[in-house]
Amino acid sequence: MSTVARSAGARTVAVPLRLRARIAIVAVTIVGIGAFVWPLLIGFGARGAPHSTDAPWIFLVLLPLLMVVVAAELADGGMDAKAVALLGVLAGMSAILRPVSGGVTGVQLMFFVLIPAGRVLGPGFGFVLGNLAMFASAAITGGGGPWLPFQMLAAGWIGLGAGLLPRARGRAELAMLAVYGLLAGVAYGFVLNLWFWPFGASGTGLTASVTFSPDASVAENLSRWLRFSVTTSLSFDIPRGLATAAAILALGRPMLLALRRAARKAAFDSPAEFDPPLI
Amino acid sequence: MKPRLVHPVAWWLWAIGMAAAAMRTRNLVLLALIVAVVCYVTLARRIDAPWARAFTLMWRLALLTVLFTVVLQIVLGIRYPGTVLLRLPGTTLPDWSGGIALGGDVTAEALLAALTNGLRLAAIIVCFGSANALAHPTRLLRVVPAALYELGVAAVVAITFVPQLAESTVRIRQAQRLRGRPITGLRGLRGLLVPVLEESLERAIALAASMDSRGYGRRGDVGRAFRALTGAAVLVGLIGACFGTYTVIDSAADRTVGVVALAGGTAVAAAGALIAGRRTQRTSLRKDPWGWPEWLTAGSGIAVAVAYRIAVPNDVNAGYELEWPHAPVSAVLLTVVGVLAGVLTPRPPLPGARATRSPERQLAGTG
Repeated sequence: MSTVARSAGARTVAVPLRLRARIAIVAVTIVGIGAFVWPLLIGFGARGAPHSTDAPWIFLVLLPLLMVVVAAELADGGMDAKAVALLGVLAGMSAILRPVSGGVTGVQLMFFVLIPAGRVLGPGFGFVLGNLAMFASAAITGGGGPWLPFQMLAAGWIGLGAGLLPRARGRAELAMLAVYGLLAGVAYGFVLNLWFWPFGASGTGLTASVTFSPDASVAENLSRWLRFSVTTSLSFDIPRGLATAAAILALGRPMLLALRRAARKAAFDSPAEFDPPLI
Repeated sequence: MKPRLVHPVAWWLWAIGMAAAAMRTRNLVLLALIVAVVCYVTLARRIDAPWARAFTLMWRLALLTVLFTVVLQIVLGIRYPGTVLLRLPGTTLPDWSGGIALGGDVTAEALLAALTNGLRLAAIIVCFGSANALAHPTRLLRVVPAALYELGVAAVVAITFVPQLAESTVRIRQAQRLRGRPITGLRGLRGLLVPVLEESLERAIALAASMDSRGYGRRGDVGRAFRALTGAAVLVGLIGACFGTYTVIDSAADRTVGVVALAGGTAVAAAGALIAGRRTQRTSLRKDPWGWPEWLTAGSGIAVAVAYRIAVPNDVNAGYELEWPHAPVSAVLLTVVGVLAGVLTPRPPLPGARATRSPERQLAGTG
């Protein structure tokens, strides 16, 4: 993508996505989808039974490594000091919004920073910010654990998606971001239920109709997973989605303006040129 | 013993060990003991630095967590049967909510459950606050592989930025109050959020300018063939990992092939990416030593975690009974092992004993 083409568009590309970085994101997405949805696909058929237990462990070990590959590829594509500083500051802000706005009830506003930032600063920036915000939040609040790579990946997808939303202005843009925030907030919870559902549901004393069964068909497991999500986490996911959407509607305008101003000031698109000394 | 800073990785390992022990138990006595040990070590070994304030901040966050969990349990929560302390007018939400009630009977068991959960979370938060306070963040950055250097910097900026964010929130709130502007409600929130955001973004741009002016992000040249080779390794590895994923999941395929493709592909891709990252030539002024104090620090934390895994019964999913928690003597003694990190390690150097003025230090101070 040439500099001219970039500056002609209204959007800023804070973290350029080279071909290799794109391939890495696509690949980690493909593996990530597998890591998330394996409970739906695995193990129908009796001979899969012993292996259905070690599949999650493989993903738990390998997903962080793949995240490292993607991070290295993104950084290799040219992440300048401005992108690094903005990433750090915005990730710190999202990280503090998570516990302060009460992660317990689900009314948490983490995506409120992520979505406008991805929108203004581009999909590459959104993806990295999602990863980094989850990581920083875990580093600060002690939320680190085997779930962290999954959270990082899901938040990265949300930031990436926000950067890929179609062009819109004014109220239409706010409305679009709010709807996206609502959907992302709910979907995040549902998707994160998936990978631990086979472990989680068995210990909670829930009725058998919602637990993972390695012998059931895909459709049966799908409906069980949906029932599990609706009975356990929907009361967290809906408030999260609604809170994100409401915050975007109420405070999104000044937020977008501030981010656009900062992006303009940082002038990501202008290449640094060094003239030879005159004398 | 010559005063020096213990390696940050050692402090993180120690803190993770203590946190892992706290995750393991729900015994109030043991949790209180873990918090006491962590506090003692932190107060004994922290230095006067911006990031050391993280500990106070985390303490506040931890207390808030306990309060929040208890209040939430009273207002809205799963109702435990037992000794009723308080009857609130309330209603049970429909079935889909999974047995959550609004108001209703508040039992002593429910309060105990909330208090225990809150304290456990608070203990974990205090452990990580301690790691943040004790570990020198920019020295920690030095152990990040070169390929992730940029993201490592961003993560350090994020973590050191949080206390500053709290400080600027308080300051802007005071300013708004002095001006007679509303500080509550939606308008108050907007009056707070927008200046905080603006100030943070300003700060980021200023930080970037100062990093640029110090030559941050300069890259060494690497050969074309080297780039092509590492790039090919990453691509082939990623394709292998994608193929392996679905072979692992697909019940009709041979899973061994899938596991090998997934693990091997990931390893090849990671190796390619990390080796390619060596393009950045970076030298460090001082190497951080890893000697016996580091082994002792990391070892004592890990020892506590391992001991809890073996000696303390996992009661995290047990019910809540109204009784005085009794802690086994062995578990108490095992927890005290964690104190060694604050007693036998060298003292930190006094402020001003050694003038450190590197760009990294500046970064930690202004990030």
